[in-house]
Amino acid sequence: MKQLKRNKIGLYIGIAAALIVLVALYAVTGQEAFIRTTLSGLTLGSLFFLVAAGLTLIFGLMDVLNFAHGAMFMLGAYIGWQFYTNPTFIFGMLPAVLSLSFGLLLIPLIKPYLIALNLSEKLQKNLPKLLYVLAALAALVAFWQFDILGLAKTAMVAATVTNVGNPLAEISAQEPMARFWIRPLMLVISGLLLAVAVSKPGDKSQFAPREKIGKNLILPIVLLVSLIVSILVREQAPQIVLLMNGNLRFALSIVAAVLFGILFGAIIEITMIRPLYIRPFFIVLMTLGLSFVIRELVQLLWDPLAYQMSRPPLFATVGKAATSVGEWLRTGSSTINISGVIFPTYRLFVILLGVVMFIFVTVLMTRTRMGMIIRAGVQDPQMVEALGINVKQVFTLVFALGVALAALGGIGAAPFLPINPLMGDTYQMQGFITVVIGGMGSYVGAFVGALILGMARAFGDYYALKLSLSPAIAEASTVIIMIIVLLIKPRGLFGKKE
Amino acid sequence: MSGYIELPNTLLSVQGIDTYIGQFHILEGVSVDVPAGAITVLLGRNGAGKTTTLKSILGLTPPRTGKVIFEGVEIQGKRAFNIANMGIGYVPENRAIFKALSVLENLKLAERKKGDLERHESLIYGLFPDLKRLEKLPGDHLSGGQQQMLAVARALVPDNKLLLIDEPSEGLAPILIQEMMEAIRKLKETTTILLVEQNFIMASKLAERFVIIDDGRSVHSGLMSDLVLNEELVQQYLGASIKTRVKEAK
Ligand SMILES: Nc1ncnc2c1ncn2[C@@H]1O[C@H](COP(=O)(O)OP(=O)(O)OP(=O)(O)O)[C@@H](O)[C@H]1O
Ligand SMILES: [Mg+2]
Repeated sequence: MKQLKRNKIGLYIGIAAALIVLVALYAVTGQEAFIRTTLSGLTLGSLFFLVAAGLTLIFGLMDVLNFAHGAMFMLGAYIGWQFYTNPTFIFGMLPAVLSLSFGLLLIPLIKPYLIALNLSEKLQKNLPKLLYVLAALAALVAFWQFDILGLAKTAMVAATVTNVGNPLAEISAQEPMARFWIRPLMLVISGLLLAVAVSKPGDKSQFAPREKIGKNLILPIVLLVSLIVSILVREQAPQIVLLMNGNLRFALSIVAAVLFGILFGAIIEITMIRPLYIRPFFIVLMTLGLSFVIRELVQLLWDPLAYQMSRPPLFATVGKAATSVGEWLRTGSSTINISGVIFPTYRLFVILLGVVMFIFVTVLMTRTRMGMIIRAGVQDPQMVEALGINVKQVFTLVFALGVALAALGGIGAAPFLPINPLMGDTYQMQGFITVVIGGMGSYVGAFVGALILGMARAFGDYYALKLSLSPAIAEASTVIIMIIVLLIKPRGLFGKKE
Repeated sequence: MSGYIELPNTLLSVQGIDTYIGQFHILEGVSVDVPAGAITVLLGRNGAGKTTTLKSILGLTPPRTGKVIFEGVEIQGKRAFNIANMGIGYVPENRAIFKALSVLENLKLAERKKGDLERHESLIYGLFPDLKRLEKLPGDHLSGGQQQMLAVARALVPDNKLLLIDEPSEGLAPILIQEMMEAIRKLKETTTILLVEQNFIMASKLAERFVIIDDGRSVHSGLMSDLVLNEELVQQYLGASIKTRVKEAK
């Protein structure tokens, strides 16, 4: 009880301090500049939160410092941008991704039968190795002379051509079906071979009840149907997407980035992080290496250039600033007048995105069983497992969720930040500082920390400009805040003591 | 060193397991038989390997060799959550309840099927009436005794055939020890229990059978009623301080 009171008092002191700082800034800065800078700070804070929320949950639950988080933010921006500008590349690659996943997801269906096989010890040891080689060969055949680079570049073509006439058919051209069908087929086979290999046929010490097969049937069926659809529509789909309402297209871009984040996060966790949980230091090196690999691949696909994504119509009409939210929604004005301050409407959307995701994470963590498992797992994953809960699966889900939030941040930032292979690096750095300030493992801490950092950067930039100081002041201010917080509360604002 | 003899009606049978933690060879041949419907107690000095034995059964520290057979099925090498889901509840030492979760959430988390808690509510709150009152309180605001009650209650939420209980009386006030003993005695009516207990009086009053673990090996097993009479054995493996207590227990 005493502790409860002390926590409350700390909270009041914190809120009071924040109010005093805000009032002081208001008095010194003046109303107009104060409102503008505050809104800029909230925009930045929103993006910091999207990055930091994933970092803090992943670290809290699995003790994994994900140094590829910034790269995943950047990938989210690229995927969203591609989908918005010209989704030919995405629809061209979709059958490959779906067919490989379909093959792999057959594991729970075939495993019970595979482990029941009677194989000699030697065969048990060597069969998986052979299967890995065959799977790699099948994948090689699947991608043989497949013009991935050409597909990736279609968005650039679109950016220059779509204004002149409508050569959509030409820029979304795909390989003819007569040549194409072999690719998904080989990838399904490759995935299936991998599935057999990782199931360790003949190894009877494994546990795979046959009764569960029925329950595991749904996902592969859904995947198979989407795979067939994705093969059939890969030519028309990009055109349909490009001809639809721009706002709807933007909403779908966000969905695409998030879905990509979930899938990519799950794959990375299962294939690369899971084998390393017993060697935490290797995970740091692995994620760091992964971030370099991702960056180089992106440069290979889209050249080391910076791109500007156009804003969706709802935020694009240049001219007089809207005077109310209603007017903005009607005219799609690019700016809005908030008590005399002209502010870009798109940035308001980014603030909204951050707030909505904070509410989503809060509900997830406090109202759902999944959230309960995560909060318990942060303290003691072994005990959670001992209750009969598959903790590894929860790790995968949380990693996927974290990456999806980062990817969401990336596509959220894309319409007002230059899209380039390094765009995630600053956000990763600020994300880590946010997590340290807020307290490792606390999503509320990530939210508060992100707000503080966003404001610090915005006001730092403002004063650096006004007093003609170096802009590095703004960056330094976040580190100074981190040091002050750590001196007062070594575990961060919302960090739990051991 | 008693050889391995299969008892009739054995629910759990641990057969010569060796467990490593990192490079350390912690268990070097532990065999334990747990007959259904009774309380079996693991005795031994501090650091003998009692906790590690429980963790090896549950797969938290999987044994490298030997067998663990539960209801006729070999479970060594299976993942811990799969083993738990076969119907084994675990009350860890030093009350590993979840501090960030409320009392009710701690119990809810232990559900394996929807409605588990509802079905066993009367049993749980009958044994530990305090918990009902504390439902909303976060775990880290409970006293040590209340945390221990919650740790036991948590193992009662799903239908378990076997409970692994590690030092339930550790750090409890005498009056609470009494309450805990009552609770365990009542649980025996419906489940089988493998208990680790340093408090010899409590162990001798509760358990039918004992297994002594010393330096990572199971060295003796038998009926508790025989052990109470065998001062020499108690002296040898459990230390002199307990000798006087044996007399009290008699
Ligand atoms: N993680 C670990 N790393 C290294 N050694 C360990 C580890 N955990 C336990 N041990 C060692 O294994 C031995 C057995 O430990 P265990 O906790 O099983 O003993 P115990 O009989 O339960 O003791 P106590 O009565 O003190 O609870 C001890 O010597 C302990 O030091
Ligand atoms: Mg112990």
